[in-house]
Amino acid sequence: MMQHDHPQDVQDPRQLAKWAARYARSRTIPFLVQWSFIVLLVLVLGGLAQGALYAWRTRQPGLLWVLVAVIFALTVALLWFSIARWGRERIWRISEWYYRKEGYAAFGGGDKAAELRRMRWLTALGVGLMLYHLAGAVLVGTGYLPLQYFQPFSAVYMAPFLAALILVQRLGWWAWIWPGLYVVHAVLVLGGVWRPFPQNWFFMDIVAPMFGYGLISMLVGHIYSRYALKRLKRLARAGLDEGGGGDEGGSGGDHGPRAGAE
Amino acid sequence: MKDLDRTIHEPARLRILMILSGVDVADFSFLLETLGLTKGNLSSHMDKLEKAGYVEVIKSFQGKVPHTDFRLTDEGRAALKAYWAEIDAIRKLR
Repeated sequence: MMQHDHPQDVQDPRQLAKWAARYARSRTIPFLVQWSFIVLLVLVLGGLAQGALYAWRTRQPGLLWVLVAVIFALTVALLWFSIARWGRERIWRISEWYYRKEGYAAFGGGDKAAELRRMRWLTALGVGLMLYHLAGAVLVGTGYLPLQYFQPFSAVYMAPFLAALILVQRLGWWAWIWPGLYVVHAVLVLGGVWRPFPQNWFFMDIVAPMFGYGLISMLVGHIYSRYALKRLKRLARAGLDEGGGGDEGGSGGDHGPRAGAE
Repeated sequence: MKDLDRTIHEPARLRILMILSGVDVADFSFLLETLGLTKGNLSSHMDKLEKAGYVEVIKSFQGKVPHTDFRLTDEGRAALKAYWAEIDAIRKLR
């Protein structure tokens, strides 16, 4: 028997639980897939809204109604994808394809009924988030809210929403980068430090911080998950015979006298 | 001093239980890849842990492909806690 065969002789195996949790809490590919889909839809919606504005200004009611109908349909599609089981399954399948070599490990959950209740609350808050921003857009459109303050207006709802999301889903430390940067951005805007995008790119003042900081956060999470997995593997394999790991198919391998009373 | 739990006091099984104690659920591929065991060896360890009531096996299908997830049971969590208490007590005696 190798001297380090005993668990107490190798690095503390209790570290395995810590690194397994860190890894599972940092698997960000599902979020990146969802993020990509939502960003794509938002950019398409932004383009269509620009088109609708153009149609309204040039008095083309036919084009205007078609664009409004498409915007409505895409908004419903966006909501449905965010909420429906079909959307979750698509995200899960793409993620599993990426993670196929390393397998699946998840953190959180446990009490499924409680998790479902929490997810319903989050969905309701997500719908509230969309309505809040729609209201903000109306305030900007009617001149009650200066365009440059739309992001700080957004941060009032967005930051607590993201915090709730992180706490409920028990995500890793990386997730806090998103609301953190979003709040800092809002403070910089309010302080007059942040320089807005040029006039034709005004929508980027809200789109870039909202989704850009999310992307940064998820990429950091993904990189951290690679590191955590590496640490986890190193710890898990330390002191184990390659491929064997003990008593294959048999009853041996329990450490005999060492397992008994001392 | 009580005997150490022989089901847990085996390097590969201890590692499996510790990994499962850190996550909610993990599948066969994840444990296989992380621990670097053979499929037969991992299956053998999982059978023992399941028989001991320490691990819950969740079988499902992803399309037509069978999929096996593992979850640490409350009993497994308690046994692991007791095991580490014993190990710590032994270490103090040294």
